[in-house]
Amino acid sequence: MSRISRIAGAVVGALALTAGLAACGGDSLEKQGGGSAGAGGAGDGKKGSLVVGAAAFTESKVLAELYAQVLGDAGYRTSVTTVKNRELYEPSLEKGEIDVVPEYAATIAEFLNAKVNGPKAPEEKPVASSDPAATVAALKKLAEPLGLKVLPAGEAVDQNAFAVTREFAEKNKLKTLSDLGAAKIKVKIAAGDECSVRPFCAPGLKKTYGIDVAGVDPKGVGTPQAKQAVKDGVDQLVLTTTTDATIDSFGLVFLEDDKKLQNADNVLPVVNAKDAGAPEIAAALDKLTKALTTADLAELNRKVDAERAKPRDVAEEYLRSKGLIKK
Amino acid sequence: MSCLATNDWICGEYLRTRSQELTDATLQHVGITVVSVLIGLVVAVPLALIARARPRFAGPVLGLTTVLYTVPSLAMFSLLLPLFGLSAALVVTGLVMYSLTILVRNTLAGLQAVPAEAREAARGMGYGPARLLWEVELPLALPALMAGIRMATVSTIALTTVGSIVGRGGLGNLIEDALPSFFKAQVLTASVLCVLLAVVADLLLLGLQRLLTPWTRIRVAGGAG
Repeated sequence: MSRISRIAGAVVGALALTAGLAACGGDSLEKQGGGSAGAGGAGDGKKGSLVVGAAAFTESKVLAELYAQVLGDAGYRTSVTTVKNRELYEPSLEKGEIDVVPEYAATIAEFLNAKVNGPKAPEEKPVASSDPAATVAALKKLAEPLGLKVLPAGEAVDQNAFAVTREFAEKNKLKTLSDLGAAKIKVKIAAGDECSVRPFCAPGLKKTYGIDVAGVDPKGVGTPQAKQAVKDGVDQLVLTTTTDATIDSFGLVFLEDDKKLQNADNVLPVVNAKDAGAPEIAAALDKLTKALTTADLAELNRKVDAERAKPRDVAEEYLRSKGLIKK
Repeated sequence: MSCLATNDWICGEYLRTRSQELTDATLQHVGITVVSVLIGLVVAVPLALIARARPRFAGPVLGLTTVLYTVPSLAMFSLLLPLFGLSAALVVTGLVMYSLTILVRNTLAGLQAVPAEAREAARGMGYGPARLLWEVELPLALPALMAGIRMATVSTIALTTVGSIVGRGGLGNLIEDALPSFFKAQVLTASVLCVLLAVVADLLLLGLQRLLTPWTRIRVAGGAG
């Protein structure tokens, strides 16, 4: 046998080997279906399969796992796909590549408002407000023509919130942002630098609550540095979100948004009407939406971000403790 | 307090509790890389042959594949999204396009470096074009071709991580997951695995190259002896 044909044989063999490897790789890709295959896959899949989408942040991933597992318990085969952001996953939800997504009422309403009515619509003609019912109604109107079904919103809400130190609140007898306005104390806000122009932040605090804002300290929204600055007394008020579970560890307390300055970002499932419009799906998700509170969500986030538990595990533990899944 | 809660860079408990995730991500990474480089090769070799046979195509082919390489990877995957949806095919397509620059150039360079005498001699022995390519030209072009495959593979392993924007980035998914909350053990472990993958792949391909080109060593040994 000539050397050439041996070499040719080796090349063919090598190609066959790599092609074989590739086939294995292809297989495993199919099985994993991208991101983490949901533990909700526990379902026997008798009713078909559903893809739950998550955005790339902790709370969204936890919510997606919660959704996947209640749907798994209801008999669907589920998987979770993590996509970087709403701009990327929303078109896939319309197409049905993703069937269910955990959303925030006001944020998704304004996102669709911009998509349907032009990029300036959220500023010129906002549809979201501090009223959850009105916001969800406006969201439904925008979502339905796109083939999306909006399921009822729950009590759990992830929206902007302001916090002060416990001592500061006790000393000045503060429970709400109105109290802070009435107390006539100059405050410096630790927040993102856009706070000085956003209506929900410095301008709104001045106008709606009469709070004497001395300035904005650009340390980011809810960052450890921002909270530390308030704890150290450099700033007095910190902008974070209602599901921030670490404020306690900084000795901070929330002041209630009693005049409803913030938009109603209540958690709710948005589904592809064609693939996931079944009443059983709505019923399964609704049980969870009704049970989930803002504090629950904050605690789940804390377990993932501080204790480094897996979103899937904290979701499962929560659902079991609430009796929301049986298996 | 566990090393997970204290957020240490190196954490045994992380490796223990996440072994399944790490295995899945590594398999996905390897799968995407292998498929991408193989498809890249299947596309690149004919392109190189066309460029060689018809020199006026050489400029456009090399130009186009180079232009593709300059598209930022984040933009590439976002631009391909409407065509492919959220699938591994999206990531593979992007990676194939990136691999073309290296593979086409190296294949072409390898083929052009085949000595004219070798080609003449084969023709004189009655070799047809297909046999000439398969038995003379490709073996002689192998070192350059393999160098291209090695570069393309290592660069594809690095670029696969960007697929995490659609949740198909292999180890990149884990890195992307870990960054917002700065999960140090996960960032480090996934990055180290990525580098290891690249090193192992490069060594395996080097081994394959030596296996396929035994004459390069025989000649050296003969020269020494």
